[in-house]
Amino acid sequence: MNRLGAAPLALLWALPLLLSLAMLLPAASDGAAWHMALAHPQLWPALALSLATGAVSTLIALAISLLLIGGLSRSAMWNRLQAVAATGLAIPHLAFAIGFGFLIMPSGLIARLFVGGDAPPYWVSVQDPWGVALTLALALKEVPFLLTAGFAVLSRGDAARRIRNETRAAASLGHAPGSAFLRVVLPPLMKELRWPLVIVFVYGATVVDMALVLGPTQPPTLAVVIWHALNNAEPMTNGMGLVMTLLLTGALAIVLAAVALLKRAGRNATHRMLTAGPSLLQRPRATALVIGLAVTAMLALALLVLVLLSLAPRWPYPALLPAAVDASAWMAVSPAPLWLSLLLALAATAVAVASTVLWFETQDRNRDRWVIGLALVALALPQLASAGGQYRLLLPLGLTGTLSGLFLAHLTPVAAYVLIVLAGPYRAFDGRYIAAARALAASQLSAWARVKLPLLKAPLLTAAAIGFAVSIAQFVPAQLIAAGRFSTLPMEAVTLASGGNRPLTAAFALALTVPPLVAFLAAALLGRPRWR
Amino acid sequence: MHLKLTRRSFAGLLGLTPFLSTAHAEESWADIEAKARGQTVYFNAWAGSPQVNAYIAWVADELNTRYGITLEHVKLTDTAEAVRRVRDEVRAGKDGSADLIWINGENFHVMKEEQLLFGPFTEDLPNFALVDIDGKPTTRVDFAEGTEGLESPWGMAQLTFFADGAKLDTPPMSMMELLDLAKEEPGRIIYPAPPDFHGNTFIKQALAETIEDRTLLPVSIDKAIFTEASKPLFEYLDQLHPSLWREGKQFPQSQAQVTQMLADGELLMGLTFNPNEPANLVMAGTLPDTTIAWQNRDGSIGNTHFVAIPINSTSTAAAQVTANFLLSPEAQARKADLKLWGDPTVLDLDKLNPSQRALFNHAKVAGSVKKPARTIPEPHGSWVPLLEAAWLERYGA
Amino acid sequence: MALRLETVSIRIGGQPLIAPVSLIVAPGETVTLMGASGSGKSTLLSFIAGDLTSPFTTSGNVSLDGNSLDGLPPETRRIGRLFQDDLLFPHLTVAENLLFGMPRGPRPERLAKVEAALAEAELSGFGDRPPHTLSGGQRARVSLMRALVAEPHAMLLDEPFNKLDAELRQSLRSFVFEHIAARRIPCLMVTHDMADVPANGRLLRLKDGAVTHA
Repeated sequence: MNRLGAAPLALLWALPLLLSLAMLLPAASDGAAWHMALAHPQLWPALALSLATGAVSTLIALAISLLLIGGLSRSAMWNRLQAVAATGLAIPHLAFAIGFGFLIMPSGLIARLFVGGDAPPYWVSVQDPWGVALTLALALKEVPFLLTAGFAVLSRGDAARRIRNETRAAASLGHAPGSAFLRVVLPPLMKELRWPLVIVFVYGATVVDMALVLGPTQPPTLAVVIWHALNNAEPMTNGMGLVMTLLLTGALAIVLAAVALLKRAGRNATHRMLTAGPSLLQRPRATALVIGLAVTAMLALALLVLVLLSLAPRWPYPALLPAAVDASAWMAVSPAPLWLSLLLALAATAVAVASTVLWFETQDRNRDRWVIGLALVALALPQLASAGGQYRLLLPLGLTGTLSGLFLAHLTPVAAYVLIVLAGPYRAFDGRYIAAARALAASQLSAWARVKLPLLKAPLLTAAAIGFAVSIAQFVPAQLIAAGRFSTLPMEAVTLASGGNRPLTAAFALALTVPPLVAFLAAALLGRPRWR
Repeated sequence: MHLKLTRRSFAGLLGLTPFLSTAHAEESWADIEAKARGQTVYFNAWAGSPQVNAYIAWVADELNTRYGITLEHVKLTDTAEAVRRVRDEVRAGKDGSADLIWINGENFHVMKEEQLLFGPFTEDLPNFALVDIDGKPTTRVDFAEGTEGLESPWGMAQLTFFADGAKLDTPPMSMMELLDLAKEEPGRIIYPAPPDFHGNTFIKQALAETIEDRTLLPVSIDKAIFTEASKPLFEYLDQLHPSLWREGKQFPQSQAQVTQMLADGELLMGLTFNPNEPANLVMAGTLPDTTIAWQNRDGSIGNTHFVAIPINSTSTAAAQVTANFLLSPEAQARKADLKLWGDPTVLDLDKLNPSQRALFNHAKVAGSVKKPARTIPEPHGSWVPLLEAAWLERYGA
Repeated sequence: MALRLETVSIRIGGQPLIAPVSLIVAPGETVTLMGASGSGKSTLLSFIAGDLTSPFTTSGNVSLDGNSLDGLPPETRRIGRLFQDDLLFPHLTVAENLLFGMPRGPRPERLAKVEAALAEAELSGFGDRPPHTLSGGQRARVSLMRALVAEPHAMLLDEPFNKLDAELRQSLRSFVFEHIAARRIPCLMVTHDMADVPANGRLLRLKDGAVTHA
């Protein structure tokens, strides 16, 4: 049973992934490519930019998320916050970038509202040289992800009760709810947020589409330099791109190792703070409310702006609303790619969740670090590189341009996310519940289905929704593997974005938002605990 | 005795000819059309423009009705994707996923050098006889190198600028006048950064207008010659950049972005390679009908864009029929129609009969170029990587 | 240092749960409240601790050392609490758990108090251990010491021996009552097991909402 349990994940996901990554190794020994890369005038500043935007955006997103969880968990706002997080997660990154960009650009909505005049002001907002616009947008867009990861932990069946009791115990020891949250709830929560934080950091440092819309240009982030290089027709330049990818990945690994070391070094100081004694620190309810409203407003405004953009062929400065409204962009959203994207997402999510659960159920938890490590590596590499490796693997097998190849291409990132999101909550499940059920004469399967599954339904549904959203938004791997035979919704959207037709791009971006939104709302509704 | 031998050997030689000649030279066009029937052509073409996509959809319909060919439009964001794919497939010994590629310039040269292209086939296309090879030499010379019949011309491109006539009444008709305008209205003009090909073209235009020895442009050059010859260009750019958007420290990534900034009011002017794009944008409602378009007085860089057939295509016959159809007067006229796409024709109108010529009578609309300038041919391909590297070195970080 | 309840009544949804009860627990005294499950005894403890929320409504007054506890949040009431689970914080060591509620002060003094508490619990040397490496009985002792080093002015015990086996119950019972008595603070305990009642402790019953002397 052990071997069999690992099989689906290993054969459908781990093995192809490892082989794809192996396809990239020859780049490491490509001397000419190394030479080109190290001589590239933008290499080091671009790398610094990537690391900075990734790190700062992660820290801001974490601060906001913890503030929101600390201030609003188990209050009346909690469910509403979950709904906001679900919506936020569903918005594709590119869509948010376009909407947010339109808010802050010199000819954008904020300038029109507060500055006016005949010509746009000389603001340096989008594409600012320090990457502030990109960092802010990333931070805002990742808050829903971290919040959702937090929810997955906090709303597990037994977690809520345990937290309630521990908070009562802390109160009896002189700690107000804010101090109890900081000192008792937060440390274990942070432990389970480790992997999501790593993903957020890695994503922020390697994102391409958001960096293109909002990030600096001379120099851009390293991810953008790599993207241009890998897209080039010259094989030499492609090789340089691969080398730069290895450099970027190495740099990310170093930063993460440094953070781990810092954490260890700071443990004493941290624990001193934890045990300093009674504290009347209150929960930051008011601040959290304000911040929560601000974040919600930004997400909502970006969406609203997107809707307006999709209907406005022209919207020149300083008009507050577009002059003419034209729904023709909506007519151009083609159904066939939409259905294909949905089909692939459902299949990839189902297989990912099933094989991941099978892994957790049958494998010893000591083995987890291998698959999670692999998942992180997969997510740490710029998609162009890992997808390139996958293409090189599938081409001789005749799987490019086929539906099964396309399915595998989607399964790769989906399974990685599902693994990472599900690992914490699944492994932390109190096995005694199963023992109790079996003692009541339930079979293994029955105990699992009737006790574990319902108690884990929130994290499972959340992981499924995240996987679904990730699949719908897949562009780079899909495009490479589809090899011109299929077209998914994001492929159509990005191609249109390259033509600069903003209403069309906005319409497709919104079309991309709807399926994940439905998935998340469904997960939120179905995943609610039976009683509070 | 000699005669007898000769006659016999001659007969023998005749019998051998099917085995000696290359396939397509012997095949008549009728044979190719017959073979093409029932084949599918995967046409890899940039799909960023709904007008282009709609035109290709029309081509697909026509090919189906007239020739029984199925055309699938493979939507590309960047032609280099197709180049890489073909290279990978040929290396792996796989059949082609692409049968026809919309291509030119650097991408074409890469494919030609690596022998990834089928052909030569162009000059055997019946409609090639209608192409204006004298008036439009770039139909056979791509970036100063001969096409060698490996790519068939499709449409013309020429660097064109555009702006809102209500905000700009005297458009700058040379790079020097552009510099003056930039100094008058700082922060309102910009070009996309190389290696975007519009950015490259802007720089090539500046190069053509500032270089001392124009004869260096069509030839293959090396770094030493380049450094010397490009001095005036970089002096010009050094003067220009401080008056540009964001003081020339940041550049948009694409021409589409520049156009959008113009439409939003942040910029004064935009640039394009399709002289009819401004008119298209006016019709789509993206730009106001006071839009004006112009080309530099003494000539603006122009080229031809082509279609080529990958060497591992399994539908070369249908691909050739498609390429031929794209050269037909009906297809070229419809392509040039401003209401549909507006891409200029490669045909010589004088070579057409009156009824064919009439197809090209398109009304002038708002945003058309009033006084088209002559075409300056693209510099030799070897200039491009040197320009890109030097620009990156000076302004990249 | 007495804990005083004055005509405390608790209602839920309009229905009375606990009829008005008045009670004084003297310093050093342990009063036991017994009742069937669901009778509302834990609810009363919650009220005294200060974390009783809707749908319960209350009236009456609780005071400690002569000061009314009305409206005070739980963390300021100086009332220690033991629950059915030891609720030792899993991310802190035993010593850190003890430090958690200990009043602020110079670190060397606090550490010394930790050592003293461990010694009292016969757990010297266990300071650096994570809680999950201790046995149930050991954890229960740490839990009590943790509550006591916080220097509470009263203790509430909510069926604290429930989860322990008979032998452990015995030894822990005496341990708990000894230490609470030594500190001379009032203690109110809730249980449904007669054997838990200390030798000379008052016993009250909660039945049908009414508190009566046994």
